[in-house]
Amino acid sequence: MHYDPILAWQSMPDLLAGTATTFAVLLPVLVLGLMLALPIALARLETGPRAKAAAGYIAFFRGVPSLVLLYLVYSGLPQLSIVRDTFLWTFFSNAYFCAWVGLTLTHSGYMAEIIRGGLAAVPTGVIEASTALGLTPRQTLFRLRLPMAARYVLKAYQNELLIMVKSTSAVSAITLVDLTAAANTVFDYTYDPFTPLVTAAAIYWCIVNLMRTGFTLADRKLNRHLART
Amino acid sequence: MNAIVQIPSTADAARRAAGLQPAISVNRLNKFYGGFHALRDIDFQVAQGEIVVLCGPSGSGKSSLIRCINHLERHDSGSIHVNGMELTRKASDVARVRRQLGMVFQSFNLFPHMTVLDNCTFALRRALRMPAAQAEALAREYLAKVNVANQADKYPAGLSGGQQQRVAIARALCLKPSIMLFDEPTSALDPESVGSVLRIMEELAATGITMVCVTHEMGFARRVAHRCVFMENGAIVEDAHSAEFFRNPRSDRLKGFLAQVL
Repeated sequence: MHYDPILAWQSMPDLLAGTATTFAVLLPVLVLGLMLALPIALARLETGPRAKAAAGYIAFFRGVPSLVLLYLVYSGLPQLSIVRDTFLWTFFSNAYFCAWVGLTLTHSGYMAEIIRGGLAAVPTGVIEASTALGLTPRQTLFRLRLPMAARYVLKAYQNELLIMVKSTSAVSAITLVDLTAAANTVFDYTYDPFTPLVTAAAIYWCIVNLMRTGFTLADRKLNRHLART
Repeated sequence: MNAIVQIPSTADAARRAAGLQPAISVNRLNKFYGGFHALRDIDFQVAQGEIVVLCGPSGSGKSSLIRCINHLERHDSGSIHVNGMELTRKASDVARVRRQLGMVFQSFNLFPHMTVLDNCTFALRRALRMPAAQAEALAREYLAKVNVANQADKYPAGLSGGQQQRVAIARALCLKPSIMLFDEPTSALDPESVGSVLRIMEELAATGITMVCVTHEMGFARRVAHRCVFMENGAIVEDAHSAEFFRNPRSDRLKGFLAQVL
């Protein structure tokens, strides 16, 4: 078993195409997951039925394996005639769409909990100060609580994001050829498992570390008020 | 040290319109926290330009009272009028009343991720939609008045407690309230910082602004307050001109309290 640089070079176009698929799955999931998580996190902080519903959502989608969710969305939902025989089929017959839905549900469950934690960490007194200064609850939420929460959750969000990058490989189960699947295909054709998979791992490593660098820069900028002077 | 000069404020118009109306008028106010009766039938008036100190043991309801006045706590019965405007539960009424009031907290409650300057311009820009340049000029003016002009670009964590509390006072004054509420403004400070904050409060008192201070600083109360109010168990026990309050306390409970704190 040895690393074959020539095979690595030759399979690079396939691996990069797989990387593109990985991003095509990942980026919409990150955006949609965040958009969905925010109202759920806010509902979770209330008291009453909405809080219960939000808690149920979080418990469910954090509990169900994302691979199972992907199978359910891609193979399970089309068993229902309301999905198969209506306009919905246009969407659910598309593997990308199913990947976005499945992973967004999982991601939003985790993100809602991260955002809730960040909002809960904003000191009550700071919110009261904003209120006493005449800002409406909505202004206080968007101008103060969320910006402060974003600073608190940066580390937790970084963790979740890096895990998501690698979790996207589950989409190969519903026919999408992402980076992992592309590497595996090279292995199928060449009987060399080592070279394509190590190359794929290196590409993942680059993606993850680029993101980590981005987070370090964001942290330096957003949390400069914590820097020792 | 710069003397604080009250700039003509939008609240001044309200004050003139209010005429001889009391700045604050609280009638038969009751407040419960669950089963705990925090404020019992409070009747409390503050005249325009009056400096009132609220004192009493912890848990006596002094903080609850001033927090009800700007609706940080919701009262359960009774009425509150500020410059003649009734504080109902309607958001527009609450906003109108809060516009009259500035609030300073025990723990400063500065926005930690904003510079001192941004702390002061935040409400001007967001709540009053004031242009940034105008807001900044106003903020710098008030920061100078509380002697922290040179700290404007720092973050709150880089300031001493006393400096932070003075920034909090400037932040409240920027909105030109006609009434200032202080909730134990010096209780979280070291003795040296206490002096710097009390000096600013004394200068502020001299400008004729109406002030209600919850404080344990009896020296400040004696020197600066026109009236002192002693509360215990959610009720007002004694309410007197400050000279009278210290010289001839009527109730045994106030005598006991003064003996302990003086």
